[in-house]
Amino acid sequence: MNYWGYWIRQFPVQFDLDSKLQTVIKNFGTLVQQKGNSTFKEPIDLSKVPSYDWMRSISVRNPSMRHNRKVSLVFNHLEPEELADHLTYLEYRAFRRINFTDFKNYAMTASLKDNPKLERSIALFNGLSQWIQCMVLSKTTPQQRADVIVKFCNVAKKLRILQNFNSLMAVVGGLTHSALARLYKTTACIPSETQKMLMEHTELLSSNNNFINYRKVFHQCTGFKIPILGVHLKDLILLHTALPDRVEGNLVNFRKMAQLSLILRELTKLQTHDSIPGVFANMDLINTLRLSLDMHYTEDEIYELSLAREPRNSLSSPSTPTKPVVFAEWVAGMRPPDPQTINKHVHDMVEAVFKNYDNDRDGFISHAEFEAIAGNFPFIDSFCVLDADQDGMISKAEMKTYFIRANCHALRNSFKHDFHEITYFKPTFCIHCTGLLWGLIKQGWKCKDCGINAHKHCKDLVVMECRSKASVACNRRLDSLSSNGSGSQDLSYSTKRKMSQRQKRTRVHRGTQTEECYFVDPLPRELGEEGDFRELHERLLKAEEVSKLRDENERLKLMLKSCEEQIVVLQSQIGSIQKNTISFILEQMEALHIQRDTKV
Amino acid sequence: MREYKVVVLGSGGVGKSALTVKFVSGTFMEKYDPTIEDFYRKEIEVDNAPSVLEILDTAGTEQFASMRDLYIKNGQGFLIVYSITSLQTFQDIRSMKEQIIRVKGVEKIPMILVGNKCDLEHQREVPYQEGAALAQGWSCPFMETSAKSTNNVNEVFIEIVREMNTSPVKENKGCCTLL
Repeated sequence: MNYWGYWIRQFPVQFDLDSKLQTVIKNFGTLVQQKGNSTFKEPIDLSKVPSYDWMRSISVRNPSMRHNRKVSLVFNHLEPEELADHLTYLEYRAFRRINFTDFKNYAMTASLKDNPKLERSIALFNGLSQWIQCMVLSKTTPQQRADVIVKFCNVAKKLRILQNFNSLMAVVGGLTHSALARLYKTTACIPSETQKMLMEHTELLSSNNNFINYRKVFHQCTGFKIPILGVHLKDLILLHTALPDRVEGNLVNFRKMAQLSLILRELTKLQTHDSIPGVFANMDLINTLRLSLDMHYTEDEIYELSLAREPRNSLSSPSTPTKPVVFAEWVAGMRPPDPQTINKHVHDMVEAVFKNYDNDRDGFISHAEFEAIAGNFPFIDSFCVLDADQDGMISKAEMKTYFIRANCHALRNSFKHDFHEITYFKPTFCIHCTGLLWGLIKQGWKCKDCGINAHKHCKDLVVMECRSKASVACNRRLDSLSSNGSGSQDLSYSTKRKMSQRQKRTRVHRGTQTEECYFVDPLPRELGEEGDFRELHERLLKAEEVSKLRDENERLKLMLKSCEEQIVVLQSQIGSIQKNTISFILEQMEALHIQRDTKV
Repeated sequence: MREYKVVVLGSGGVGKSALTVKFVSGTFMEKYDPTIEDFYRKEIEVDNAPSVLEILDTAGTEQFASMRDLYIKNGQGFLIVYSITSLQTFQDIRSMKEQIIRVKGVEKIPMILVGNKCDLEHQREVPYQEGAALAQGWSCPFMETSAKSTNNVNEVFIEIVREMNTSPVKENKGCCTLL
């Protein structure tokens, strides 16, 4: 009986979380009481076990805020150290929740099925790596990309100081990923000391000699540290495979248990810290970051983007696989976040943004502020237009719809175009190389869905979204998501309308779009004499109609002209109003700056 | 003595660890400590040449997407393993070669396609011919193994050494040139 008591005292977590174990103990307790042994009831009383309720939930819950320093939520303004602190906070929250049972199940089944806490932690790891790649690739010039890499190298430096090896692995893995490593022009812009630092970190995390460098450093570290989960999971799996559960005579293999417990005890010991020394989390930044890391791309999409940013040098690289291969399968065990989670994360993030940027608390933020925030989420601002009611301000509802759309946006499909060979009747230019589409007939290829044109040899290299498709895919997923957010339906409609308007505008601007038609044979006509006569009569009727329509047309044209004049007047008015508003905002900002400066 | 770095890739549960353990430990090992430096090293003789193999078992880290690139960067030869009892695991590895080429930046890479668990013939989901056809497409050798009954285990590792001898990976080509 005392053994039971000892067990419960030592491992209260298991007794609180494992319902099977609880039932067994309760049954045992009643049995003991029935036998009249009430003195033995004490040690196995489960009601004294503290609650480990917080370990049940997968998501990160907001703890009480001790420090709520003012931080920027915008990536460009974030200090690398700050970013590292907050990543560590998220990492530790996720790591801390993984308990003995989760580790055991993974070691035994090698799958993440029914293991949401471990899955969450791995999703965070992969999300971080991908976010880094996307943040780098979202920049258009090599120098800008190099700047982002340098920033993340500094994040890595701080992560090393914080002894957060798991995030360090994710960051280094992201920075050295083949999608970034192949960018020669970008690499040339990275200062040598940063390159050296990145190399040192790669060396530290190298799998050489069974991760010997990492293992040494990890054991030397004391206090708070987060292990590279993958490495320790690997050790567990290997031990489990290598040693039998039972030895001769059907006895439990004690040696195996002892060795497994060494690894498990080390992992669980690291979960006991209540806080991360020296790290004070700002929950608003946490919420924004968390959503940034939720983004789901496949390796393939990222690699395609990398190829677009700096095309392959055809001399030194292997031949391009003409058909893109889907690499998502390998992470098949990982589900994309479910709609509820996305909804919740979007909600938290938007609330955080408004808390920090909506200074007058009227539920609106300005366009410029929104653009800055959207910079944390590479590639999503290109296909939706915010501010559905075009009032120059962005409401909470608008922002939520935007991010839910962005999140469910099937990027995979949106880059695929439905190209068809076509004959142009006016000079037309290729969207990829901007060169003329040469020839008399069938000069180029046109996407049936979004109408972009390209050379035959350029069409596979186009990295422009297929806009019409993107919006369709979004709307479909949005329907399933919109049950929570009221009013998002009509909002999405007007957004779509505005999008098409914008598209039209850009078309006119570019001037690359010219008239064309599909190359089709004229319809065969097989009509008898009677048919011919009837046709003639119809034509006469039509001719009459045409003259009527012409008059109507004249009238409408006049109306249009007067309307256009009105528009010009209104636009000039808007211009003057805007000027006033901007100068007012600038004044306000000036004033705020002065206030803040004096406060500090 | 030449050193070879072999990476064992494949989805979770195909028996990568079992294959590795069978190879490094032979029949019996007094004490297992997977955390020590040379746990995954083994000396073997291939075609009269003594060689040291350092094996990188990727078990447990399959889901960590960005660790895979680091593994591939480090490796010289690759065992790509699926289980003949699971069609899913065979589908999972179909894109593997492309990914290795991406990371390595060269077309010819020493690799072997391995169909494991061939002792479970009655549960077979992937016919031998399909495995062989994929290997032919990749122009690499194909073998069916069983870690459980120690069938073809050593042979697979010997074969990968031979592959590495005939087509050594040129290091750092396609990788970023540092400093």
